[in-house]
Amino acid sequence: MKAFNIHTFAIKNLKRRKFRTGVLAFSIALIVSVLVFGFSFIGSVGLGIKRASDRLGSDLIVVPVGARGYAEEVLLESKVKSFYMDKGLVERVKKVEGVDEVTYQTYLATLQGLCCDIPEATVVAFNQDSDFIVMPWLTKAIGRRLQKNEAIVGHESSLNIGLGLMDAVLFGARFTLLGALEKSGTGLDNAIFISDENVEEILRKGKSPLKPDQVSIIFVRVKSGYDPYNVGRAIEGEIVEADVVARTDIGKDTINALKDINMIFSITVFMASVLSALLAWAIFSATVNERLREAGIMRALGARESHIMRLFLTEVLIIGCIGSICGAVMGTALSVLLAKSFTLFKNLPVDLTVWDRLILGAAGFAAGTGICITGALAPIQRIKKMEPLFVIKGDAA
Amino acid sequence: MTQLVLKNVSKTYLVGDDRIDAVNDISLGIEKGEFLSIVGHSGSGKTTLLSIIGGIAKPSSGTVLFEGDDIYSLDGDRLSKYRCEKIGFIFQFASLFQNLTSVENVMLPVVFKARRDKTAGDEKKAVELLGMVGLGDRVNAYPSQLSGGQQRRVAIARAFMNDPGLILADEPTGDLDEETEAEMMRLFAGMNEERGITFVMVTHNTELARQCKRQMRMGQGFQVP
Repeated sequence: MKAFNIHTFAIKNLKRRKFRTGVLAFSIALIVSVLVFGFSFIGSVGLGIKRASDRLGSDLIVVPVGARGYAEEVLLESKVKSFYMDKGLVERVKKVEGVDEVTYQTYLATLQGLCCDIPEATVVAFNQDSDFIVMPWLTKAIGRRLQKNEAIVGHESSLNIGLGLMDAVLFGARFTLLGALEKSGTGLDNAIFISDENVEEILRKGKSPLKPDQVSIIFVRVKSGYDPYNVGRAIEGEIVEADVVARTDIGKDTINALKDINMIFSITVFMASVLSALLAWAIFSATVNERLREAGIMRALGARESHIMRLFLTEVLIIGCIGSICGAVMGTALSVLLAKSFTLFKNLPVDLTVWDRLILGAAGFAAGTGICITGALAPIQRIKKMEPLFVIKGDAA
Repeated sequence: MTQLVLKNVSKTYLVGDDRIDAVNDISLGIEKGEFLSIVGHSGSGKTTLLSIIGGIAKPSSGTVLFEGDDIYSLDGDRLSKYRCEKIGFIFQFASLFQNLTSVENVMLPVVFKARRDKTAGDEKKAVELLGMVGLGDRVNAYPSQLSGGQQRRVAIARAFMNDPGLILADEPTGDLDEETEAEMMRLFAGMNEERGITFVMVTHNTELARQCKRQMRMGQGFQVP
């Protein structure tokens, strides 16, 4: 015979009431899955935006006045946008106090059939001498600089995962595709990267609206000891035709919009949690009423209050754990399966790491088990305090 | 040696606005190794008195001394320990747990022991006890697979599991046929003689009561001469 103790006794009690156990476990699973599912999205957007902006490795971005939203769409959402400012601004930014390193990129939008033979994408022309954004990725991928008429694509580019790597005509010039970069988690994962040495030829072919000496975005690293916000304000003060966005403010509008959704969602989850706790209370109140005599007999046989508590708590814990684990798995699976089904999240970098998902799952598990215990605690407290003879005779029921 | 002493024990219940005096001013001494029967009509307070002795119903007044200790002055855990290790209860009604097998039901008091010796061979002992009550072949049967009499015998076996010094039996042979009843009474007598276990047995059956070394009669909560 297997060991016989309070825990095996608790399991046997649960098996005796399969339907009731199942209903409570299922309700806990539902609430936990909603919790994990919802917070996966809310959390992943916030984390995704933060990680994407961190991976860019720039403290500030400088864009043409009014183009801040476009820049975020390119950097976070992989949208194809063109916006330009005078290249002379690069030198002016460099001179602002507190600026350490500066590099720039020029974004060109491809149009299949007009200039290019690939579907719509952003072509990023970057300066390999000053760059600190793409070069680390490039070095990792091919270990050398790009030559003229060479290109490399982002990890999520259709040329990597859809059409396959091949040579491509971009703005009238033929480019050799060398390979794909590793996933960066930024909107640039969908872009095609070329050296800015090619810009001159692109201008000459006249297949792009780009004008000579124009760039789209300037990335700035500030010197150690300088506050990026102060440096950003200084840049905006010096250069009126530019907007500056600090790294921590990238995607702020999206995050603010999500705050409202988050609040609505949190209130809903809270109310559902209260309902689940009430369900646990109702089910355990019924269970306790049914088992008053059993508890009385156990007390007469020598069970301490702590034994009764442990027995019922073990039952609650098992239900809570089973429900919470199922809920965490269901919630995670739903969030993975539906990750790109919501318009709001479609283009955002919403991938969570395994570690993130484990933390969310653990939080869901703790919440589900906690809800179950909270609901069942009062009935359990009631049963353990009763005088055994009363409950045995049924007077307490 | 006096094992159990009851001094002016009374128990009053309130049922709604009605006051029910279930036990009235009972004083009693029980020697170790005694076999006492308590007889009386329904509602005479026998079961309440047994419950007071067993530590499951606190008297409204009076004291219960077991081996010199006032059991109701003990804290909750020590009172539970008393119930677990000193007392063996045989209830008037079906008291088995439906989801436990016979052997598990018998082993239940061991689960509640403060210091459980895991090498003690609890299962072996439980099986032996079931054999002693004639159920050696039903150790893995669930209560629903046993007759009322067989269930009663499992409950009797359970009462002996923790080697108690005092057995409190409330109509212990109520569901048993005459032959099995006689067999159980022989078992009780054997335990009483050989192991010196004290028995306090509540019964309606005057014939059974006469088999006991000492009798006590109750009526309307009072001890009747």
